[in-house]
Amino acid sequence: MKITNGKDFWAGLMFVAFGVAFMWKAQDYAMGTSVRMGPAYFPTMLGGLLAILGAVVLLRAFVSKIENPLQVFPFKLWRIVVGLALGVVAYYAQPPHDANIALEAGHTILSGLAVGLIFAAFGERSLWVVLFSVVVFGYVLKPLGLVAAVVLLVFISAWGGHEFKIKEVTIMSVALAIFAVLAFVKGLGLPMNVWPGIWE
Amino acid sequence: MESLFANLALGFGVALSVQNLLYCLLGVLLGTLIGVLPGIGPIATIAMLLPVTFTLNPTSALIMLAGIYYGAQYGGSTTAILVNIPGESSSVVTCLDGYQMARQGRAGPALGIAAIGSFFAGCVATVIIALFAPPLAEVALKFGPAEYFSLMVLGLIAATVLAHGSLIKAIAMVILGLLLGLVGTDVNSGVARYSFGVSELSDGIGFVSVAMGVFGFAEIIANLEQKEKREIFTKKVSNLLPSLQDFKDSWASILRGTALGSFLGILPGGGALLASFAAYTLEKKVSKNSANFGKGAIQGVAAPESANNAGAQTSFIPLLTLGIPSNPVMALMIGAMMIQGIAPGPQVMTERPQLFWGMIASMWVGNLMLVVLNLPMIGMWIKLLMVPYRILYPSILVFCCIGVYSISNSPFDVMQTAAFGVVGYIFVKLECEPAPLILGFILGPLMEENLRRAMLLSRGDALVFFQRPISLTMLLIAGFLLAIVLAPVVRKKREEAFVEA
Repeated sequence: MKITNGKDFWAGLMFVAFGVAFMWKAQDYAMGTSVRMGPAYFPTMLGGLLAILGAVVLLRAFVSKIENPLQVFPFKLWRIVVGLALGVVAYYAQPPHDANIALEAGHTILSGLAVGLIFAAFGERSLWVVLFSVVVFGYVLKPLGLVAAVVLLVFISAWGGHEFKIKEVTIMSVALAIFAVLAFVKGLGLPMNVWPGIWE
Repeated sequence: MESLFANLALGFGVALSVQNLLYCLLGVLLGTLIGVLPGIGPIATIAMLLPVTFTLNPTSALIMLAGIYYGAQYGGSTTAILVNIPGESSSVVTCLDGYQMARQGRAGPALGIAAIGSFFAGCVATVIIALFAPPLAEVALKFGPAEYFSLMVLGLIAATVLAHGSLIKAIAMVILGLLLGLVGTDVNSGVARYSFGVSELSDGIGFVSVAMGVFGFAEIIANLEQKEKREIFTKKVSNLLPSLQDFKDSWASILRGTALGSFLGILPGGGALLASFAAYTLEKKVSKNSANFGKGAIQGVAAPESANNAGAQTSFIPLLTLGIPSNPVMALMIGAMMIQGIAPGPQVMTERPQLFWGMIASMWVGNLMLVVLNLPMIGMWIKLLMVPYRILYPSILVFCCIGVYSISNSPFDVMQTAAFGVVGYIFVKLECEPAPLILGFILGPLMEENLRRAMLLSRGDALVFFQRPISLTMLLIAGFLLAIVLAPVVRKKREEAFVEA
């Protein structure tokens, strides 16, 4: 037995894992009867179906005529392990509500690093740089304001592309920041800080 | 018939108000813009704008969002013809002959016939919606939970049959979508399912996050992995009006494309994409000089461009009458309705006639705007095409992020979207089509609700789905669809069709 279609192998494995996970977690909820279905009834049915279909896809990977290598994308295990470890640390080391800014910022950086590493495990730079820029945006918008968040987002995400021209990116980030403030805060009235919270 | 005119009059009254005209214009302009730009489609755009529409009134919001979808069909053809890159997936086939026409110095007539064909198709599709939606909605009002459940099964199966790639993976994606849709508080028992103690998850996974992550972000990342190359063949387009000979050659194609597109749009799983592919294939079959196809035949532009616009519009019929989305864009429209507190379904027409007829009338108005505005503005769109992707994608990201953040003003939704970006990327790599997932996601809670009700009414007898004639018919059609796709002959043809396209 040899796996010929690597894509189907991983897809099948993914479906089986999801199906089993949904069924397993459904045990925490009431099953009910077919007349009065409990919260577990439908998810258990679907989870079972998903696991069966996944198994078929998985088996097909061994007999498929389509050939795909098992390595579908460059996957780096150590990054996910370190990322998860940092995530666990960040989760249990939540700073108290009245913590000072330095502690708060440290915790944010730690969680950000954890998330970034997990993303980075899935290979190519464009993937994790782009998604990391998004995560950074989400975290800094409230404390640092919209302008800083947009500038950071543009700079980091532009770094994920093929070419990075500092002059171009600078102009673009300023233009987009101005536009975002005018359109979303002034125009649509979204409740967002424009500048860092301490200034206002 | 009289009530039809009264209804249309009501609709035009709504659509022609200054505010709605403005939002319609905004929608079609935005639609054309993202249609022209490769790398961002209507799905990501509508997902991005969903949170913003919260501040609008429902009618204006839906008019604008609808405009984005059919406006994108107009814009997509421009890129296909001038750059040989589909601006929209539904204009893939337009590249074949449109670009060849441009190389022969006939970019103008190609763009002209695409716009005229689209306009004609848009007008016809508007009339079709006005004619067919009310009777269908009336039938749907009689549907019980069993019929609804079977209808959803049929809709989801049809959507997987029409998705490309492996059928079994597509069905698995639907089920995964249904399961993800179930995350959150169960309406019957109040239990927070699969929330893992995260309070944000007890309201369910954000629909915008799934759509934007899986379609928007994953698309950007996939685009970045390829080195961009974009050649604009025609810098100056002159003489947009096709000649008399062009009209003679293509009027029949426009008619056929419109008819086929309108029909395919109504089907579950249909829409602009399928319509354009099918129309091109049909045109090649019926044409006397099919050897010309791929070498700049004007029919090869006229038919798919008419069909994709017709299909884009008629796919609103199942949405407006049954409350069932036939493609991911319609799933987003349902999301938009829900944000506005409107339960999609046949009652929309009777309870909110202004919204229903206003939206239909706005489609005609929007098509008119597109023809009148776009042809003179073609020079501007060409300039936009010169903007390289490295400038484009950070801008897209900025709008996406602000849109997602504003859903609940917390970083949580942004994280969730980024996570679905990873998931979407994995789907792309594993060749799992994300469109069925999103349909399942939106239908998950609805399906469970109807299943529960049907079983309660039948006292737990699952045979109820086979005893009620309408329900049985729908399940039989679903089974039939599955059977023919699995039949070896069709299977091969289906693979060929998608490879060719």
